[in-house]
Amino acid sequence: MIPDDIKNRIRDIVGAENALDSDLDRFGYSYDASFVPLFPANKPELVVRPATTDEVSRIMAVACEHGIPVTPRGAATGRTGGSIPLKGGISMSLERMTKILELDVNNMMVWAEAGVRTIDLYNACAARGLFYPPDPASWKFSTIGGNVAENAGGMRAVKYGVTSNYVMGLEVVLADGSVLLTGGKAIKNVTGYNLTSLFTGSEGTLGIITKALLRLIPMPKKRGTLQLMFRTLDDGCNTIHQMLQSGLLPAAAEIMDRFCLEAVAKHRKTEHDPAIGCCIIVEIDGEDDAALEAQARKMEAVARQCGVYRFRVAQSQQESDELWAIRRGLSSAIASLVPNRLGEDISVPRDAFPEVVRRISAIAEKHKLTIAVYGHAGDGNIHPSILCDLSKPGEEERVHRAVEELFDATLAVGGTLSGEHGIGITKRPYIAKALGEAGVKALAAVKQALDPKGILNPGKIW
Amino acid sequence: MRKETDDKLLQAARKIVSQCDRCGTCLPVCPLFDVNSVESSGARGKNVIARALTEGGIEPTPEALAKVNFCLLCRACVDICPSKIATDDAMIHIRQYLVNRTGAANTRYKAMGGILKSRGMVKLAAGSLALLRRLGLNSIFPHGMVPEEYTRAHFLAAFAGPAVLAGTAPPSGAAVTAATRVAYFEGCGMRMMFPEAAAETLDLLKAGTKPLVRDNVCCGLPHLAHGLREEFLALARKNIELYEDADVVVSDCASCGGTLKHIASYFADDAQWKDRAAAFSRKVMDLTEYLAKAGYTPRQKVNATFTYHDPCHLSRGQGIRKQPRDLLRAAGTFVEMKDADVCCGGAGTFHMDYPNIALKILDKKRANIEKTGAAIVVTGCPGCLIQLAKAAKASGGRFKAMHISQVI
Repeated sequence: MIPDDIKNRIRDIVGAENALDSDLDRFGYSYDASFVPLFPANKPELVVRPATTDEVSRIMAVACEHGIPVTPRGAATGRTGGSIPLKGGISMSLERMTKILELDVNNMMVWAEAGVRTIDLYNACAARGLFYPPDPASWKFSTIGGNVAENAGGMRAVKYGVTSNYVMGLEVVLADGSVLLTGGKAIKNVTGYNLTSLFTGSEGTLGIITKALLRLIPMPKKRGTLQLMFRTLDDGCNTIHQMLQSGLLPAAAEIMDRFCLEAVAKHRKTEHDPAIGCCIIVEIDGEDDAALEAQARKMEAVARQCGVYRFRVAQSQQESDELWAIRRGLSSAIASLVPNRLGEDISVPRDAFPEVVRRISAIAEKHKLTIAVYGHAGDGNIHPSILCDLSKPGEEERVHRAVEELFDATLAVGGTLSGEHGIGITKRPYIAKALGEAGVKALAAVKQALDPKGILNPGKIW
Repeated sequence: MRKETDDKLLQAARKIVSQCDRCGTCLPVCPLFDVNSVESSGARGKNVIARALTEGGIEPTPEALAKVNFCLLCRACVDICPSKIATDDAMIHIRQYLVNRTGAANTRYKAMGGILKSRGMVKLAAGSLALLRRLGLNSIFPHGMVPEEYTRAHFLAAFAGPAVLAGTAPPSGAAVTAATRVAYFEGCGMRMMFPEAAAETLDLLKAGTKPLVRDNVCCGLPHLAHGLREEFLALARKNIELYEDADVVVSDCASCGGTLKHIASYFADDAQWKDRAAAFSRKVMDLTEYLAKAGYTPRQKVNATFTYHDPCHLSRGQGIRKQPRDLLRAAGTFVEMKDADVCCGGAGTFHMDYPNIALKILDKKRANIEKTGAAIVVTGCPGCLIQLAKAAKASGGRFKAMHISQVI
């Protein structure tokens, strides 16, 4: 329990209206977009909404003094429970820190506060002809702080990489309230350990990221969208593999299996052509229309060789937007079909993609479960979604066994547990399998050094 | 009996909100979340509270009622949701459930509902408001309860220069035949707040038909929205009876029109009223929807620049966006404003319940209107018009706010 006098000290720091402790307000900060059950609710004792780094620092000093757990939170759109305050304490919501502090056009970098929405950052940079590529599916509502803390990926990773490829520096408030600046605008920088990389993807367990310095690149001048339909998932996987082998680099290549396509059709009240078992949506970009045209033609040639069933180039921006809307809404479209959906986030070497997809369907068959498969075919990151009804007798047990086997299959082909969602709560039981004992020990040593009292986002990762 | 109703309400709400996977897509579009970014203010937060009430985990308390009352019912979240979760319907069910369970049925809403239930009271209120306006006392009432009305006469005096004569629109080629029995539904807001605009609506209808005028009662939305469902159903039955001989029922209020079009769904389980309600709902048309179908062209083309504010219950509520814009283009110059379909913060009684929040939402709307440089912001809902009249005043006369019936 946080005693009233400490709550009052915190209220003095952020203002009474930014320290919420009514039961219903605390409930609002007990969940995120993961499948961690709503009940029993993981309510924080106090929701604190600071507006400046100084406020964050002073709150951490109080929390450290009294050993109060603190869980940082952006928009709570994470899929693994990262922002759920598992041990109560303080939910530190950074949504009021929404300033883009400096857009340095000369160095092509931007300083932004943690609570800036990714789409707002993207638009601000785009207005100056600059491109911030990472685009997690939640980019219109998730925040930069959360993106960095989870090292979010996205659809453009195949060509442009993930969030960590763009983080040049961070401002981090440490467990004791001290403020650390890492990295900087120098492109080459080997002074000391690479703390920027350490905090990126640390899921709020090592410090509270309050500002990020992000690298930008010139905005591609033209973009186009292709839609490729295949009879089988294998054909689709093979096509992407052949494209990459022949030096064709799409800006994004998203694959969906038959079940996904049926879910979309049901959602949009359209008919699904039963001959189609796989769809890939590809984004291409380049200097001008001619460059796009040339890429599209080469991709079409590869696709034809691989037995594409239908090949379509979006003819307008609207058509393009519609195709991408299907992909971005897919997760929710699938979730709405069944009582429970367990979405995973495995990631494998690119050439193991077809193999792991085959193993997934074997696991589904073995356990009599439906596993919808979609993901980022270009970079090997797959989101198998187990569709189930956990209220059915025996179902939960089968689902758990399937998840175990799914992770085993992933590790067996050289992959890993999570590509872009993080470990959080939901993948925690499997981390030792992925990292080994020495790996987990190393994580623990880092944690112990930076957060000796264990107050930062306790109960996550391992 | 009560228990059974409560269970039904919970089931109806559960069916809706259990589809929410908390992804957060709705967060940036919720005007209330935009103002304070507190989770329980946004659509996701309220849906999860509703879910917790239906699955157990949150107790039915007056505090929970306050949380679900803090919703504009503007449907911006429904529009953007990948699973099209009807937050507004869920809120209405949950409000009713909580009112039943807490017994705390908001005395204020009850009093207001009582006035609106009685046609005599509505007329009386309309009379006193008109009197207050004539005496110039309207400004002493808080929160725009007695908005200033910028009339068609004012409008023509200001904008009816030579352009009116030069650009006179040809007579309407109304497609409505003489046999179509068109009736007018005069909502309480129009009657009490904007009688001049209501009279213009009637004039528009008279251009192509002999409108039936009935002494209709309130559409019932204020009752439905605040846990007075029985009153809503009683009003609906009365209105259904009143308009049984009409072919078309025209509403110049987005909220009334939207509500009347949805009446059928509330009688789906009522063998006696089911068919009559469905037949009634099918007849309802918004004024602009009717005019477009009737092939109406504005009485004049003026030298004025309009912009248009989409009422939530017209754009997302009824899918009507094109008709009013077409009419405005034919009546003058039309400029689109940014975020035209974002709620103005009026939302029934919301602007009285939460004046500060409503004002913050309205300030954004005002800035967007001012940026267009339009002389007049037009809308099709008295609730919005109250807000827009406040914005017009705050803008220091940079623009006026008018109902669409007054400018076409």
